[in-house]
Amino acid sequence: MYLYLPVALTSINVLIPVGLGLAVGLLSGLFGVGGGFLMTPLLIMFGIPATVAAATDSNQIVAASTSGTYAHWRVGNVDFKMGLYLLAGGFIGGLIGVQGIKVLNAMGNADFVIKMTYVLMLGIVGTYMFIESLASMKKNKTAETKPAKESGFSKFLKSLPMQTHFEKSGVTHSALLPIVFGGFVGILAAVMGVGGGFLMVPVMVYILRMPMHVVVGTSLFQILFNCIEVTFLQAYTNHSVDFILAVLLLIGSTFGAQVGAVFGRKLKGDQLKIILAVIVLVVTVKIVFELTLSPSLLLSQGGGH
Amino acid sequence: MKFKFLVSIVLAFAAVAGTASAQLTAKANHDHITIDFFYHGSSVSVRGVSDPGTDLIVKITSPEAHQTLRQKGKVAGLLWMNVGKLTFEHVPSLYFLHSTKNLTDILGNDELKKYVLGYPALEAHSEVSPVSGDAEKNKWFDEFVKMKESSKVYSTSSGKISTTTKDGLQEYYVLMDWPYQASPGEYMVTVYAVKNNKVVEQAESRVSVEQVGIVKSFARMAKESASAYGIISIIAALGAGFGVGLVFRKGGGAH
Repeated sequence: MYLYLPVALTSINVLIPVGLGLAVGLLSGLFGVGGGFLMTPLLIMFGIPATVAAATDSNQIVAASTSGTYAHWRVGNVDFKMGLYLLAGGFIGGLIGVQGIKVLNAMGNADFVIKMTYVLMLGIVGTYMFIESLASMKKNKTAETKPAKESGFSKFLKSLPMQTHFEKSGVTHSALLPIVFGGFVGILAAVMGVGGGFLMVPVMVYILRMPMHVVVGTSLFQILFNCIEVTFLQAYTNHSVDFILAVLLLIGSTFGAQVGAVFGRKLKGDQLKIILAVIVLVVTVKIVFELTLSPSLLLSQGGGH
Repeated sequence: MKFKFLVSIVLAFAAVAGTASAQLTAKANHDHITIDFFYHGSSVSVRGVSDPGTDLIVKITSPEAHQTLRQKGKVAGLLWMNVGKLTFEHVPSLYFLHSTKNLTDILGNDELKKYVLGYPALEAHSEVSPVSGDAEKNKWFDEFVKMKESSKVYSTSSGKISTTTKDGLQEYYVLMDWPYQASPGEYMVTVYAVKNNKVVEQAESRVSVEQVGIVKSFARMAKESASAYGIISIIAALGAGFGVGLVFRKGGGAH
């Protein structure tokens, strides 16, 4: 059955957005990512204008992350305190990032810098997560116990002021740490035009040392607030949120997020990390192909990256 | 579900040149395409009567406008990415052209350009900027047509118009798909009768495409009440997320 989308100004088979929503919602519930890095290009591929695809995806992530946060909260896997610090940092970072885009645009090579940053970030994060989780899985198999070494970096972190305990995550950090790294992710996410879940998850795992299952729930919690803000701004300034498309996507994604959350509880943290790493690396390879193979069309409508 | 409306166009007489007896006629049932919730494109047919022995060209266009598009190019000789923007002036968002024979076989360049018939004439009529010269304009105009054809809003054909002779007059008929990608708006239908390498008669009508019902309400609200629309979208998403969460909570005892 086809439905007409009033803002995208196109007609779509309802099974496509519902199916895409289900698949991306599943990833969201499993890994705590919004999935915009998958959903937006797929929607564009199915004929949705780039600006509408990005804005409407934010709208559906609000639903998927509400569903996912709720599922994770029920089993105590959301660190609200940490989430709020990250959000505060992310908000400031977003404001800086938007200014950064203006500077890049003025310099005239914005697209090159954005694409390169995106590919490098995805590649580095994916490779590091893959290697680390593989090593960690092997270590667990041989049941080796290695005393955690106190690196210079962790000593430095402990010397920072405003140390506070995050009960749910079982870690103690300076409150500045999530704010600064939340801000860093916020800047990159704003510049790259993505939600930044794939960056926030590694920051929480490797820098904030949070347990993977709490990372997923907390990441979804802060993604929820980011996407509420983005949806409103997109609807208000660009009129690019397609409500009908968002409803079709969220029918799939809200269920997907629940199934993902349930399924995720059956997997170990390292297993979750390595699957996410593989997905991030596959997306990196796809983007590298897109950048190097001749495109079929050399012109496109404005908006999106 | 595929909804197809058959739209025939009434063409008003508008004789242009006096070299033929004005015989061009047309008949219509419907010239108004409505976009409802289940719209998936339509069909438009144009039919009428012309002088025997005349060739026919049927052109449907949207009003001309300017369009700014992102331009892809190679950076560092290796990577394809957006390298700038190109502006196309005096180009319609939709351009359909059907003729009984190849355009260049029935009309000279001057006539084609005068009535903006065919892609080369449309290119000459348009302005593309920034480009360094005619060769670059030609390259990017070809890309522009390729993009429009892939969205099904530009199309040309020859030989698709069927003609029969009856009572000493020539009856013509052409049926074309109307793509769902065509935006709501007014479209101009022009039929040209051609004889001896000249356009001898011309008739015009309009097709209007309009959103109705729920589609119109949402489109209007997204533009005119943007903040309320944004808030409703967010509340609906939050509600759906919680709702599904509750459903799973009730049904999720096994986990």
